[in-house]
Amino acid sequence: MKTDVAVIGTGLAALAAARTVQQSGRRVVLVWPGLSSLYFLYATVDVIGYPTATAADPIAHPAQAVARLIAQEPSHPYARAGMKAVEAGIALMLEWFKEAGLAWEGTLDRNFLLPTATGTPKPCCLAPASMTAGDLSRPDPIVLCGFTGYQDFAPEFAAANLARQWRTAEVSAVRITAPGYGPDRHFTSIDLARSFEDAAFRDAVAAQLRERVTSQGARVGIPGVLGLTNPSESFAAFQRAVGHPVFEIPTVPPSVIALRLFDRLRKHLQEAGIEIIWAAPAHAADVTDGRCRNVLLKAAGHELPVEAESYVVALEDWVDGAFRAGVHTVRDPFFHQPIAWSNVPTDRTAESLFATQPFEQVGYALTERLQPADENGTPLARNVFCAGGAMAGYDPSGTKSRGGMAIATGYRAAQEALAA
Amino acid sequence: MITEEFEPTTDTVEEEASVEACTKCTACNTVCPVARSTDIFRGPKALGPDLERFRSPQEAAVTPGLDLCSGCKLCEVTCPSQVSIQEYIRRAQNQGAREKGRSLRDWVLGRTRLLGKLGSMTAPLANFGNSNPLFRVLMERFVGIHRRRPLPKYQWLTFERWFKRHPRPVKPRRKVAYFYGCWVNYNDRRLGERAVAVLERNGIEVIVPRQQCCGIPAVVNSNMDLARRYGQENVRHLTPIVEEMDIVASSTSCGLMLKHDYGHLLDIPGSERVGAKTYDIMEYLWMLHEAGELDLNFETVPMRLLYHAPCHLKSHGIGYPAMRLLKLIPGVKLEEVDEGCCGISGTFGVKVEKYDLSMKIGSRLFEAVKAAGSDQVLADCETCRMQVEHGTGATSAHPLEILARAYGHG
Amino acid sequence: MPDTSTGVVVIGGGSTGAGVLRDLTLRGIDAILVEKGDLASGTTGRSHGLLHSGGRYCVNDEQAAIECVQEGRILRRIARSAVEDTGGYFVSVTEEDHAWEPRFVEGCRRTGITCERISVDEARRREPALSKHVRTVFWVPEDGHLDPFYLVVGNVESARRRGARVMTHTEVSGFLREGDRLTGVRIRDSKTGEEGTIACQSVINATGAWAGLVARLLGVEVKVVPVKGTMVVLSRRLAHAAINRCHKPGDGDIVVPGLSVSILGTTSAKVPHPETLPIEWDEVRRMIEEGAMMLDGVTTARAMRAYAGVRPLYDLGAEAEGREMSRNFAVIDHQERDGIKGFTSIVGGKVTTFRLMAERVVDVAARHLGVSTPCTTAEVPLNDRDEPLDQLRHRPSVLGVPKPHGEEPPLQPLLCECELVRPQDVAPWFKDPAVRDLEDVRRRTRSGMGPCQAAICSYRLAARLVTDRGVDGPTATRAMADFLETRWRGVRHVFWGSQLRNMQVTTGLHMELYNVDRQLMLDPVAGASPSPVAAEGQGGGTAPEPAQVAGQR
Repeated sequence: MKTDVAVIGTGLAALAAARTVQQSGRRVVLVWPGLSSLYFLYATVDVIGYPTATAADPIAHPAQAVARLIAQEPSHPYARAGMKAVEAGIALMLEWFKEAGLAWEGTLDRNFLLPTATGTPKPCCLAPASMTAGDLSRPDPIVLCGFTGYQDFAPEFAAANLARQWRTAEVSAVRITAPGYGPDRHFTSIDLARSFEDAAFRDAVAAQLRERVTSQGARVGIPGVLGLTNPSESFAAFQRAVGHPVFEIPTVPPSVIALRLFDRLRKHLQEAGIEIIWAAPAHAADVTDGRCRNVLLKAAGHELPVEAESYVVALEDWVDGAFRAGVHTVRDPFFHQPIAWSNVPTDRTAESLFATQPFEQVGYALTERLQPADENGTPLARNVFCAGGAMAGYDPSGTKSRGGMAIATGYRAAQEALAA
Repeated sequence: MITEEFEPTTDTVEEEASVEACTKCTACNTVCPVARSTDIFRGPKALGPDLERFRSPQEAAVTPGLDLCSGCKLCEVTCPSQVSIQEYIRRAQNQGAREKGRSLRDWVLGRTRLLGKLGSMTAPLANFGNSNPLFRVLMERFVGIHRRRPLPKYQWLTFERWFKRHPRPVKPRRKVAYFYGCWVNYNDRRLGERAVAVLERNGIEVIVPRQQCCGIPAVVNSNMDLARRYGQENVRHLTPIVEEMDIVASSTSCGLMLKHDYGHLLDIPGSERVGAKTYDIMEYLWMLHEAGELDLNFETVPMRLLYHAPCHLKSHGIGYPAMRLLKLIPGVKLEEVDEGCCGISGTFGVKVEKYDLSMKIGSRLFEAVKAAGSDQVLADCETCRMQVEHGTGATSAHPLEILARAYGHG
Repeated sequence: MPDTSTGVVVIGGGSTGAGVLRDLTLRGIDAILVEKGDLASGTTGRSHGLLHSGGRYCVNDEQAAIECVQEGRILRRIARSAVEDTGGYFVSVTEEDHAWEPRFVEGCRRTGITCERISVDEARRREPALSKHVRTVFWVPEDGHLDPFYLVVGNVESARRRGARVMTHTEVSGFLREGDRLTGVRIRDSKTGEEGTIACQSVINATGAWAGLVARLLGVEVKVVPVKGTMVVLSRRLAHAAINRCHKPGDGDIVVPGLSVSILGTTSAKVPHPETLPIEWDEVRRMIEEGAMMLDGVTTARAMRAYAGVRPLYDLGAEAEGREMSRNFAVIDHQERDGIKGFTSIVGGKVTTFRLMAERVVDVAARHLGVSTPCTTAEVPLNDRDEPLDQLRHRPSVLGVPKPHGEEPPLQPLLCECELVRPQDVAPWFKDPAVRDLEDVRRRTRSGMGPCQAAICSYRLAARLVTDRGVDGPTATRAMADFLETRWRGVRHVFWGSQLRNMQVTTGLHMELYNVDRQLMLDPVAGASPSPVAAEGQGGGTAPEPAQVAGQR
C-alpha cells in the first residue's frame, strides 16, 4: 500500500491528523487498529480545565491558559505543538464537525462548565449542542433525570453533589420509567439511545418529564442517550416534547455521545474516499538510513507494508498500545527501543490513584518537529512524527486537557509530516 | 531459575491475542450487529472476555445464547487490545456442542462440500426442491432452514471439472494457485471462470490444487474438529504449492480461514506458512498494480456501483483493495455503502430461528442500498451477495466481475 | 452509640470469630460480634483460599494434617456455598522434590489423606497448563478452594438469623471489670469515633494475629507472632485444581484457583505488627517465578494485584521460624492462666480448621457460663438447608437464558460485569447496617474483584449509597474514591502489561469523565478515612494507627 501520509492511531489525535492531511489535498491512509479504549472520554473536547493537576479553580478562558502553559512549560505537549496548532487544530475540527453534520458548540475563548455524572462541574471547551444547556454559568434551576433500572446515571447521586457546590439555583433529581426498560432487564446506553430514535418512545418519556418538572424555567439533565444515528433529530424532538431545555450528561462506556462523534467522523473520511485499514495494528517500522521506508501492519496471515512519504504515529495512549510495559522495561512498538526502565513496578505509580502518575510522563523524547528521538535528540526516523499519548509528558487527566492535546498534537504532527 | 525479566505477552500484539488483554472498554459491544438488533444477546464482551474467566475444560459452554454470535468478527476488528473475542465465543460454543451434541441441521450446514457434491450431481432436482414452497416447508420443519431464505442454485458442471478442460496459457509470467471455495465450485462457476480470465489476462497461469472445503461452515456450526480435519487436508495439499507460488482466494471467508483461522483458531501445524502466502484475489491484483504489473488496458465500464465491504474482509486487515482497483476503471462510479453487517453471516441467516434476526441486522444496509440506487451492489463475499439480493432486489456481484468486464469478458 | 448487653462478646470477625458466633448461637447463647474492620478483613480475608487436604502438613505436622482432613470433610458438608471442590495436585519439579515424594506418600497414608499418583500425561490432559518441569504428579482430591468471604459471611448470617448481632468497624478499646471478673467491653466506632459499652458475662478473644494486642488491654500476655504472607493474583484460572509443590513447604509453592482467579503464594516473614504488611517487589517476583515452575503461562499471565495477609502463629514456647511453628491452635482459659474470669482466647490455627477452633473455645466459655448444650456446628449447614454449590461454574447461570424472539427476555442485568454480580445480589447488603463502605460490599458480593478493578462498578455502587442508604453526595463520592484507592494499592505492585493499561481506563473514567478528583477537593468529607498507609510498597514502614488495615485483597 502506498500513500503520501500514513496516520496510525485510534483516538482524536489520529482523526485530527488524518483530516489535516486530507484538507491539504495529499493522500492519506488511516491505520485504525480499533476504536480507542478511551473513546468515551471524547463526549466533549477538553482543551484545558485547570492550570495544574491540583489547582481547584476551573479555567474560564482556555486559549489564554494554554498560552500561559506554553510559556511556563516548554516541554508540555501543548508547547511542543505550539499555540498555532492549538488554534488551527480546533478550528479545523469545528469545521469538520459541521461538515460532517455534527452539531457541536464552543470556542477557545471560553470553557463551558458542565455537570458530570457525579454532579461535579467540569470545564470543557467544545461540546455537542445537546450538552451545552447544562452550562452552570446559566442561572436556571436544574432537574436531573434518571431511568428506573439504569445504573449508569444516578440523578440522586449527581444532585446530591451538585446541589452543594452550585448555589446559583435549585438542583433536584427525578427518576422516571423508560417504557420497556426496568431493573429486571439487561440493557445498555446504546439500547436506550436506539429507543430514543422512536417518536412514540420519546413522547412517552417526555410526558413523564412534563409532569414531574414543574418549575417553569428549569432545564432537564438526562444521561447521554438521545439517539445514536440521528441524534440531532432525536434531541430536538425530545426537547420540544419536554417543553424545557434539555442537556445530556456523558456516561461510562458504551458511551453514546462519544460514539456518535467517532462513527460520524470515521464515516465521513470513508465517504471522502480515504482508506481506513482496520484490524491491522502497526508493529514495526522499517527504517534505513534514518528514513522510514514502510511500516509493517499485522494483517491476517502476513504483514502488510504501508509505504508512505511520512508517518504520523498517534495512538491514544498506553491503553491502545502506544507503548508496551514489561515488568521493568517499557518498549516502543515501532522502533522497538527501550523507552524507560523501572527498578520496581511501584516506581511507575503514585501512592494515590488520583495523583499525577510517573508512568504517564513516559513517552518518546521529541525533536522540535515532533519526531521521536534518541537521547541525543536525533530523530529515530526523519519522516516519522508523533502525536497523542506516545509523547513524553502527555498527561491530560489532572488538567482535563485530553481533546485539546490530541487535536493540537495531531494537527501539528500532520503538518510536519506534510512538510517532510 | 526463570529469566530475570519476564515480559508479559498480554501486552503485545505479536502473540495470540489473549483474552487477558481486555480492558473492558466495551468498544466491541458498540459494533456488534447482533447486540444492536436483539435484546437477547448479551454482546461480545460478556460472552467473550467476561465469561471466559468462568469457563473450565469440564464446562466450557456454560452460557446459553452463544449460538447467537454470528461470527462476523466486527468485535475483533474494533477491539483496541486485539483480543480474539469471537474465537473465545466460538470455542465455547463448540465445547457446548461436544457436550450436548449437534443438531441435524448443524451437521448438514457444516458440510458445504458434501451438500455441494450432492446438489451439483442432482442439480436440476436440487434446485427445484430448493425453490419449491412445499419442499421448503418440509425443509424448515425437519432441517431447520428458514423457508423464505433463497438457497443458492447448484450447477451440474463444477468449476473443478470446467478447469480441467481449460487450456493452459502460453508463456505465463508467473503462476498462482486458486483456492476456489465451495461456492465457486458448485454454485457460481462463472465467477471462477472470470477469476481465471482476469489472472490470465495479467500473464498469470492459474493452478488449481486439490482442495477441501475451507472449513468455516463447520466452525460456525459447532464442529471445529471437522474443520480442523478439512484444514489439515488443505494444508497438506497446499504446502508444496506455496513453495513455488502464492495462493489467491475469491471468497473473503475462505481466505480468512487460510490466512488466519487455521493457525489461530484451529492450531493446524504448517498452516502459518500457507497463510503467509495466501491473498485475497483483489488484494493480489492490487499488489500487482503496485508492482506496475497490472494490465491497465481497460474498456470503459459505465456503471453506477455500490460497494459493501464484507465483515470478514475487515478482519483481513488489508483495507478495501477492490475499491482501489475499481477506481482505476474508466466509467465506473463507485461508492461505498457502509452500514455494517449485512446480517446473513454465512449459514447464520439461513437458520429458521435466526432468519428474522439476520434480516433485521441487514435492514439498515438494505435501506441504504435501495435509497442509493445502483446498477449493481458489489461484495467480495458470496453470502453477502445472496443477502443483499434477497433484501433489496438489487443485483449483486463480486467486484472481480467488473474487472472482468473491463477486460472484455462481458 | 447506645450501650447494650449480651451474653458473650466475640471479638474478631474472621473465620474463627464468625465460627464462634455461630456456635454460641446454636447453643442458645446470646452473643454480639465486634470487629474493628469489616468481616474477613484480617487474616481470613487475605488468606490463600486453600481448603487444605492436609497434604501440605502430613510430613511435618501430622496432627495439623489430620485436623485438615476431618474439618475439610465437615466443611464440604455444611459450607457448600463456600467450598469449591477443585481437587489438588502435588507436583515434583526438581531432584529435591523427587526425594521428598516417598515421605509425602507415607505422610498421606498415615494421616488418611487420599493421594493417588497419576502419570504426567494424564495430569496434563486434565490440566494442560502444567509446566514442562513437572516430573511426578499426585492427585489429592480433597484439596479445594475455600472462599473466605462466603465462609465468614455465611457463618455470621447463620448466627444472625438466630438473633446474634454484629458490629463491624467497631473496635474494642478496653474492658469493664468488677474485680477479677470481666463485665463488659468498651467499644469505639472506627468511622465515627462514637463510643459505648457492651455489658456481657464472657468475652472470647478470636482476633487471631491481633490476639496479643487485645489481651494487652487487660494487661495479659498472649504471645502471637504475626507472620506476613504475600500473594499475587492472576486475572484468570490457569489451572482448575490447586497446584502444590511436592516438597518441604516453602515460599510460593501453591497456586490456588480462587473462583475466577489464580492466587500465587506465599511468603513468610515475621512482622512487628499485624498491620505492617509491606509488599516487597522481591516477593512478587518470587511468587511468579515459583508459580512458573509448576504452571505454564504464569509469567505471561495478566497479574491483577498483590496483597499481603498475616498468619497468627502462636508461639508454643520454642523460638522458631514462621513456617516451622505449629499451625495448631490453642485455647487459653484466662481464668485458669491469669485469674481473669470471663475471658478466653483462641489463638493460632488456620482457616480450614476454624470450626474446630470455635468449638473448642466455645466449649470452654460455655462451661464457665454453665451451658451444657453440645456443639452442632458440624451438622447444621451454614445456610440451614442443602444448598447447591454457588461457585464458579454456576455463576454464569444467573445471567439468564435468552428466550426466542417475542418472549420476555430474562437476561439479568449486571452491576459488576467482570464478576457477574447482579444488582439484586448487591441490594440487600445496602440495607445491612454492618455494611459501612464499598469494600464491605465488595467482600460480600465480589463486585470490583475482577480485571477492571471496579473501574465501572464503582459508580454504580456509590450511587446506591445515595439511593438505597440516603448517604450524602460527598460521603458517597469519598466512599467511591476510597474503594478505588484500595483497589489501586494492590495493583501498584503488578503495574505492567494489561493491568497497567486497564488502569488508564479507570483514571480516565474517574478523573476525566466524572472529575472525581476535583469533587473530592471541592467538598471534602469531614472525618474522612485517613490517607493510605505508608507501609505499602517498597521497603518497610512504621506501624500504622490501628484503624487502618493495609494490603487489602
